[in-house]
Amino acid sequence: MIELERLTKKYGAKTAVDGISATIKPGIITGFLGPNGAGKSTTMRMIVGLDRPTSGTALVNGNRYAATRAPLAEVGALLDAKAVDGGRSARNHLLALGATVGIGKRRVEDVLASVGLTDVAHRPAKSFSLGMGQRLGIAAALLAEPDVLLLDEPVNGLDIDGIQWIRELLGELAADGRTVLLSSHLMTEMQLVADHLIVIGQGRILADSSIQDFIEESGGGSAVVVVSPDAGLLAPLLAGDGVTLTTREPGRFEVRGRTAPEIGDIASGHSLRIHELTPTQASLETAYLQLTQDSVEYAGTTRKAA
Amino acid sequence: MTIALERPVSTHAQSLARGIHSEWIKVRTLRSTWIGLATVVVIMIGFGALAAAMATGSVTDPGGDGGPPFAGAGPLGTALSGANLAVLLVGVLGSLAGAREYGSRMITATVTTMPRRWQVIVAKSAALAAVMIPTAVIAVMGAYGVAMGILGANGNATVALTDDGVLSSLLGMVGYLVAVAVLGLCLGSLLRSVAGSIGTVVGGLLIVPALASALLPDSWDKVLQLLPSSAAASFTEVGMAGGSTLSAGAGAAVLIGWVVALMAGAVVAIHRRDV
Repeated sequence: MIELERLTKKYGAKTAVDGISATIKPGIITGFLGPNGAGKSTTMRMIVGLDRPTSGTALVNGNRYAATRAPLAEVGALLDAKAVDGGRSARNHLLALGATVGIGKRRVEDVLASVGLTDVAHRPAKSFSLGMGQRLGIAAALLAEPDVLLLDEPVNGLDIDGIQWIRELLGELAADGRTVLLSSHLMTEMQLVADHLIVIGQGRILADSSIQDFIEESGGGSAVVVVSPDAGLLAPLLAGDGVTLTTREPGRFEVRGRTAPEIGDIASGHSLRIHELTPTQASLETAYLQLTQDSVEYAGTTRKAA
Repeated sequence: MTIALERPVSTHAQSLARGIHSEWIKVRTLRSTWIGLATVVVIMIGFGALAAAMATGSVTDPGGDGGPPFAGAGPLGTALSGANLAVLLVGVLGSLAGAREYGSRMITATVTTMPRRWQVIVAKSAALAAVMIPTAVIAVMGAYGVAMGILGANGNATVALTDDGVLSSLLGMVGYLVAVAVLGLCLGSLLRSVAGSIGTVVGGLLIVPALASALLPDSWDKVLQLLPSSAAASFTEVGMAGGSTLSAGAGAAVLIGWVVALMAGAVVAIHRRDV
């Protein structure tokens, strides 16, 4: 369990993390979302004491991280997979880290095998590809079977096999009763993996809820996509209180406030043709964008056709 | 591909001893460590042998007047001709040991595994000393043995280990090399930059003493005695940059003071700063 209590980090006049309070529970995967610069990494760094909070506290299983008995066995952190001394082999890198809590060769070999790096473990880390480096970072995080895992963008650079593996692994770790805090920019990935979400923007918590509630409460809700050659006739018939229609292209529109069977019945009642009738669930991405559009710090602009 | 949970992992409390073990693994698994240490040995013995050969006249400086260029230095000084260069190299190795993890960001992993951060500085220093001490002994004693062999074979004056002050001078040089390595490590950790640390080591050991003794009035001599290089000259009895009027004991105390002060500074800094 991770408990954040009014956690704040200021760099000079700039506030990176602004009084975050949250409890990250064991047994589930908590997704940590937010735009670039929202304070995700800074928060994770404060949990393991890399950054000192300006005020507030971060507790890991009830203790300050710096006071834990065997830090590596308490928290496994993958914050920056490139933070490896390139001149050292992967195996020796893990041996050196493991030595701090008395972990030796056997466990290092087990972990190397489980992340699939045994064959390249003798090679200097600087020769590793992005994906291999990511696997090494994951190996380091898992080395001492920690109760708490902090993973900042763990799928970054992994191939499809690797992503699937990480997905299963995170599920196993959570099912095992561990606390898993995971940040990712990949919304589809997050939607597949996370049980719970904490969304931050400009250093503050924007949402802290189960992923299901998050999507439903975002206002996106469910919609039905209708494709019909008679769209022009059908649309007015569907209108009503609490019903919104959105047209993206001719002959295709989105209906909110009516279910698919209702729409089908209305169409058949008027002998109108329907080629497609698809209920859709708002995606995490849509919900997320809606929530964070006001708190994006580094927004790109695109020229829109007038 | 699942994470092996079948075999339970036994972990122990993180301690300074385990921190030192970790840093020891790091030191010995970098090829650059061994290259650097070998270079120290080669420089000390090579320069000692060359200087001894020149002192006997069997090797002459082609640009010189033919006289033995090391005639002024005693046999011990001749044997330790490589000391100035070796000291600088050792300072560079120390700087690397202290700062290279800041370049690679490996320091984040180090500090995460050793969150009681004073241990990072102490463990790194201990691991460095563990390779530096035997290296310095081999380099210094090797240079002494080879140089005395060359000098003796050609009928030049030699000194024996049992002669007054010889062994203590040699051990003093060993101590100086180790101290400079640790100074470099602490500077590297303080400055978080290999280049900055090397610059400071070279400046502090070579440039500052030379400039200061040339430019400052004589009344400053007492202060200049407190520079690490001058303090070391008191117990190595080898003409380092700037002579020394301190006693050997006082010089050793001053040098130890530098090491303690810089290490304390490095410890305070690593605790106060974000990584």
